[in-house]
Amino acid sequence: MARRSRRWSPVPYLLTLPGALWLTVFFIVPMFTMFSVSFQEGNFEEGFVFTGYWQNYTNVLTRYDTQLFRSLAYGLIVTLVTLCLSYPMAYWIARRGGKNKNLFLLLILLPFFTPFIIRTLAWKQLLGDNSIILGTLKGWNLLPESYQVLATSTAVLSGLIYNFLPFMALPLYVALERMDPSLLDAATDLYSNRRQAFLRVTLPLSLPGVFAGSLLTFIPAVGDFINADLLGGVNTVMIGNVIQREFVTNLDYPEGAALSFLLMGMIVIGVFLYARVLGTEELTG
Amino acid sequence: MATQVETKPTAPPAPGPHKERRKKRAWILPTYTGVIIAYLFIPILVMIMFGFNEPAGRYNFQWEGFTTKWYNPDRLLEFEDLNEAVKNSLLIGVISTFVSTVFGSLIALALTRHRFRGRAGLNLGLFLPMASPEVVLGVALLALFVSLNVNTGFVTIVISHVMFCISYVVVTVKARTSGFDRSLEDAAKDLGADPWTTFWTVTFPLIFPGILAASLLAFALSVDDYVITSFNAGGTVTIPLWVYGASRIGVPPQVNVMGTLLFGIGVIYVLVSIFRGRRQGAVPSPPVKAG
Amino acid sequence: MSAFLAACGVGGSNETGDQNQDDGLTTTKENGELNFANWPLYIDRAKGRRPTLDDFTKASGIQVNYKENIQDNETFFGTIQEPLANDQAIEWDIVVLTDWMIARMIRLGYLEELDHSLLPNFEAHAGQIYKDPVYDPSNAHSVPWQSGITGIGYDPKLTGGEITSFNQLFDPSLEGKVGMFKEMRDTFTLTLLSLDIDPQEASIADIEAATEKLIEQREQGIVRQYYGNEYADALLRGDLAATMAWSGDVFQLQFDNPDLRFVVPDEGGVLWVDNMAIPQNAANPIDAHTFMDFVYDPEIAAQITGWVNYICPVPEAQDLLLKQGEKDSYYKTVAESPLVFPTPEMEANLHGYKDLTADEEEQWQDLFQSVIQG
Repeated sequence: MARRSRRWSPVPYLLTLPGALWLTVFFIVPMFTMFSVSFQEGNFEEGFVFTGYWQNYTNVLTRYDTQLFRSLAYGLIVTLVTLCLSYPMAYWIARRGGKNKNLFLLLILLPFFTPFIIRTLAWKQLLGDNSIILGTLKGWNLLPESYQVLATSTAVLSGLIYNFLPFMALPLYVALERMDPSLLDAATDLYSNRRQAFLRVTLPLSLPGVFAGSLLTFIPAVGDFINADLLGGVNTVMIGNVIQREFVTNLDYPEGAALSFLLMGMIVIGVFLYARVLGTEELTG
Repeated sequence: MATQVETKPTAPPAPGPHKERRKKRAWILPTYTGVIIAYLFIPILVMIMFGFNEPAGRYNFQWEGFTTKWYNPDRLLEFEDLNEAVKNSLLIGVISTFVSTVFGSLIALALTRHRFRGRAGLNLGLFLPMASPEVVLGVALLALFVSLNVNTGFVTIVISHVMFCISYVVVTVKARTSGFDRSLEDAAKDLGADPWTTFWTVTFPLIFPGILAASLLAFALSVDDYVITSFNAGGTVTIPLWVYGASRIGVPPQVNVMGTLLFGIGVIYVLVSIFRGRRQGAVPSPPVKAG
Repeated sequence: MSAFLAACGVGGSNETGDQNQDDGLTTTKENGELNFANWPLYIDRAKGRRPTLDDFTKASGIQVNYKENIQDNETFFGTIQEPLANDQAIEWDIVVLTDWMIARMIRLGYLEELDHSLLPNFEAHAGQIYKDPVYDPSNAHSVPWQSGITGIGYDPKLTGGEITSFNQLFDPSLEGKVGMFKEMRDTFTLTLLSLDIDPQEASIADIEAATEKLIEQREQGIVRQYYGNEYADALLRGDLAATMAWSGDVFQLQFDNPDLRFVVPDEGGVLWVDNMAIPQNAANPIDAHTFMDFVYDPEIAAQITGWVNYICPVPEAQDLLLKQGEKDSYYKTVAESPLVFPTPEMEANLHGYKDLTADEEEQWQDLFQSVIQG
């Protein structure tokens, strides 16, 4: 697409300048200092000193490997489920939404303009052990008396899926909406089979949306802590909860920072592998 | 958002041998979409309902009886810190959405339409803010502000929100601009349009759905952020901060009412737009170019 | 974080707070203004106003800039630590924080010493257990705002009987129906008491024993979740049969479900105190003293507690509320509740948190982490 040979042009630099500058000053610089913190030793009252203490990394890796891998697994599940849930919806809005496409987008996001705590409390009211849903099913003997949703991994996953659905649906919509309807009709005629037409034309063309949606879902979901905090039980602690606690409660900045960079490293590697699998290098940028 | 932007007028499905079957199944996807949207709305219904509750104590957890008293302006606006938090959240949301959408869209354009040195680095620099745990971003930024002797408050909240929204905007807009067909732009140029006109009449309408989706996402991220905001808020209170703090004593029904009203404004907007669209006729209108 | 900044070479002269010299108050007279940071909904309200603040301004002429911007102790500490460590002033003349955080800030030299000659009401009206507390000997740096008890909240219908001992929360018959706190100090202190260990004297070996007991409880599937504030809605919904609980919350929950009960375990409960304190170099320290003294006027104390319903540090407020209760039964409920005015027997069985050094805190936190982050 942008592969035509051209003279050097200032345009791309001018386009990226404001955003890149912002990210440099307010993200890269602070994160760089944070990176050096991850090699410090000490405690918050006597101060932390830079000693190149790389053991912070191995320490946290051995201590929190369970939570780390649990988070990655949760992230994968959430990404897959939100993808399956939102693709048909995004497809329908993009192809058949007609004049009201933008309004559907707004509808998908409206619920997320309300405070997280209120939304979560609502789910807890609906999913409590004796709630209108579970209590009724138990009353009809469709569920065992001890059955519970809250404080299980199901609850954490459901919370994550609910909260990240729009992050998947929007990029999918954006990619699908771009497609030329006549192309699709041509494909339908050509392959004489709707499944074939979908697999050979629609799906490949929507891959940039799948990729973008997966990024927006997987990356923040892996690092999320609040769903596990409010909906989870004793065996659903995610790495985000550990990091949060290291920073806020334990004031152990070096270990918290080391854990964060470990997580970020794993995510970045995962993302680049994923880009490779999806094929085109163009997807990543 | 009232301007309808479509790359092409939605053509009626071309007649063909599959038309019959397609018709039979035509109800599946719209029903499915309706179900998903209803699912997203479930907690909102509970929130609205408890805005009409008359709690016996200070906790608004259990249905005790119907009342509309929280809608009385005197009661609704009873907590001035909550009022201020609502105002702050909306203002911060709008400003950081605008700034991050502009910055992010420009980066997305540059990344998908130009080859230049530093692309790989820029890509990495865009993934990392999304991959960083929020608390790290919050703490690191606060340390920066303190070292620069900047007092935390409204401005620093906006700065942090723009920072974490940019990546989301870039990724969303890029889903639109990658694989971008430049023939239309070239055609416009061939017709003698200058770059500025080309951008506003051809490029912008083409990528607008991406920008719109991105800005909605950015707004949702901004108004609902707790962790990063809590570190960089100083004396400024936003909705999530106030509600979180109040949850120790009991979140008052006024929070539900405020949420309901904000939600209601959105819904009314949607309904009015649909109604207006209907009145203009069922025939697809020609694409309206923004700008 | 100051240390972190210093280590990165970005400002911050003091590595440790205790180097902060106490150079006395910044002024010796009232300036007519007061900047007050408190938790949301933690002061009385009526008709969209805060009567106590209005009364205070009327009585003293001091304008109060009151902000509800403290969401929890730790996060708030995270945001004020660097300026204080660098011996800079923060925006606030009074902050309200829990006792263990007050102890930490005293140790770090972040709080001004109080001038008790300006606090005659406190001397005259504060309850005995609030004077000379472990976390701040002779109230040198802080005076209580409101307080509460950490004990056990339960629903007798779900437990099938009364709960009197903390050990009942370790009974396998309550499988999946017990709530514990993710607040380290509360959970450890109650567990230590149940092991017959004085929390003030707890050694690391004691904490290890407590950790073991808690891990066993978790592994037996007795604990449903380690909760923050959200245990309250779980208890009301019946998701929890018995749980660690804060007295003020159960008092509120009883309006919705009168069956719910709160008990101080036989082995002992925790009295925690939220205190008013003046941060180092505050601009209006005398105005702050004036306010601190003002809220120890029994009438004012009754006014605040009548709305907030936490434990009042002024015992005389009980009689005043009872008198008010003759006209409005709500105040009678408040005045007669042992959750707002604990009985002497309850008070006798209450303990404070141990004041932890930085090292101890790290060890305790690490052990606690192994309990709650399985």
